[in-house]
Amino acid sequence: NPDFFRSTLPVLPLLLVLSPVNSSSCTMENKTTEIRVKYENILIHDINELVNISAQNRDRCCKNKKHENIKVFFCNDTQEIESLQRMACNMLRFFHKERVSKAFRWKAAFVSCGTLQILKCKCEGHRKEK
Amino acid sequence: VLRMTQPSTVLSIFAMFLHTTFGESGCTSADGDGTLGDDEPDNFDIDCFSQLDIKDPFSSLTCNFTELPPHNTNYTLSLCTKEDNKYTCDNMKKQEDAYFLQFTDILSNRDLCMFSETKRRVCRSLVLTQIVKPEVPFAINITYQREANEYLIRYRTPHSGKKYLEGKLMHQVAYRQKEGTWKIIESPHHHVRLLGQNLENNASYEVKVRSQPNGEFFKGTWSEWSTSKSFRTAREQHSRESYSSVVTITLSILGFMLCIVMIALIIIFWENRIKPAVWPNLPDHKKTLEKLCKKPKNNFDISFNPESFGYVHIHKVDGIRAKAELENFLQPSIAPETSLPEKFWKGSELKMIPAMTDKSNLNLSVTYGGIWPAEAPHRLPGTSQFAVTEGNCSSSTYEVCHGNRVPPQNSGGSNVSSAPPLDPSGQPSPELPNDDTVSQMLPNSEMRSSNNEEAYVTMSSFYRIQ
Repeated sequence: NPDFFRSTLPVLPLLLVLSPVNSSSCTMENKTTEIRVKYENILIHDINELVNISAQNRDRCCKNKKHENIKVFFCNDTQEIESLQRMACNMLRFFHKERVSKAFRWKAAFVSCGTLQILKCKCEGHRKEK
Repeated sequence: VLRMTQPSTVLSIFAMFLHTTFGESGCTSADGDGTLGDDEPDNFDIDCFSQLDIKDPFSSLTCNFTELPPHNTNYTLSLCTKEDNKYTCDNMKKQEDAYFLQFTDILSNRDLCMFSETKRRVCRSLVLTQIVKPEVPFAINITYQREANEYLIRYRTPHSGKKYLEGKLMHQVAYRQKEGTWKIIESPHHHVRLLGQNLENNASYEVKVRSQPNGEFFKGTWSEWSTSKSFRTAREQHSRESYSSVVTITLSILGFMLCIVMIALIIIFWENRIKPAVWPNLPDHKKTLEKLCKKPKNNFDISFNPESFGYVHIHKVDGIRAKAELENFLQPSIAPETSLPEKFWKGSELKMIPAMTDKSNLNLSVTYGGIWPAEAPHRLPGTSQFAVTEGNCSSSTYEVCHGNRVPPQNSGGSNVSSAPPLDPSGQPSPELPNDDTVSQMLPNSEMRSSNNEEAYVTMSSFYRIQ
């Protein structure tokens, strides 16, 4: 029926518009030298402080949780940047966990934001907390 | 159906227009720098520096207007961050003539924007890690190391133990004598050394230090100078140096003079003492024997010419008979291989060595005293001369004349020195031979009157005998 096609054909551009657009998560692809330099001079110090704080509060947040529910972040080969982005975005969720110590939360958020800043990434579906 | 088709078409076209306009790239302005509103060129003169980790976890930004804006305009300086198509700005606080802001994020690209009352905004980009100004060093300490004659200058920086700039700074040490010109030393470490030899003795110096990022990642400007620290150089180093130099010079001069003296002594004594000691000459028997000879006294008359001793009072020598010997001496010389038996005196040993001589060279004179053995006269050589060398005659003294002297020529062997006659028994004859007899006893011989037996042997004849 030609009338049916005439009525449905304009919808295609709408589908094209309304279809979810893949956001460019990270723009620092293939710039490993610049990433490494910023990591070695700035971010590594904050990561060390975060490790020290987590060592002081070891297993405090995992006392009543079963081990199978603990999420582990994997760094996939050839997908280091995506893995780091995923880790940073997940770590940002700690910021709202009031059961976690404030110093740890702030330092975790600082490291997450610094990582995302170096990689020039964004978290999908999440707001970056400052 | 036609009514549904037209609105959907319009809607799709409008959606496509919006998609292209408000895409993932976000809002863009005409100038392309991402700022909103009307932008003007960044023509405001302002000087900013960042101080990292000034108070953990905060860093700071300080800005000064190099050219103040008009006084009648109010303005606001803000540090802005572009994110998600939005600008997030933090206003800087005004402190006297400077604007100050603390923050934690030093990784993001920042923009410094000035807002005026007319809502106009002027922005310029900032990279906080490229305008770092370190904090001022402090705690300068100067130590004099006497053994090395060095001055160790140590200092501290607030960035020691902090996150970002520890080990990433270059330090500059300035020192000068009072009211003099500054001298600069740069070091990445927290100490420098000043050599004492480069400084004046017993003088007052002052030192100050400042720091700057080393430029590997962080860049920026020099910090402010630290407070000056004064110190006084040692007093003894000059005297010590002068004393050591005087000692060195003195020892050098003495050593040189000693070498000169040694060389001169070697040259002087080389032939006479050093060379004979080092390379002794082969003994020359002639010279050796010559040395054994005593030099005759200046007034010692040595002559085998009896006529020259005409004034000499000749004393008779008792107990010597030399008639038989005279006969032997007056005869021509015989072959020298005639060996003579040894004669023994009482308590002495007498050797008689035949000598090959002729009448013209009769220069051998023998005078002796003592008791000849009985067979002595028969054994005495008749035709040969003999040289008598001293044995171990306890009662005799011998003198050996110089061999260098040319023996007087004998005329037919008639010039014979006097010699005491001998008994066949060997006892010296008590008779005094007359002069002629005596003169014929032995050619070129003399007679000595004394109990001491003396033999005169010319060295030259002895040399020939050998």
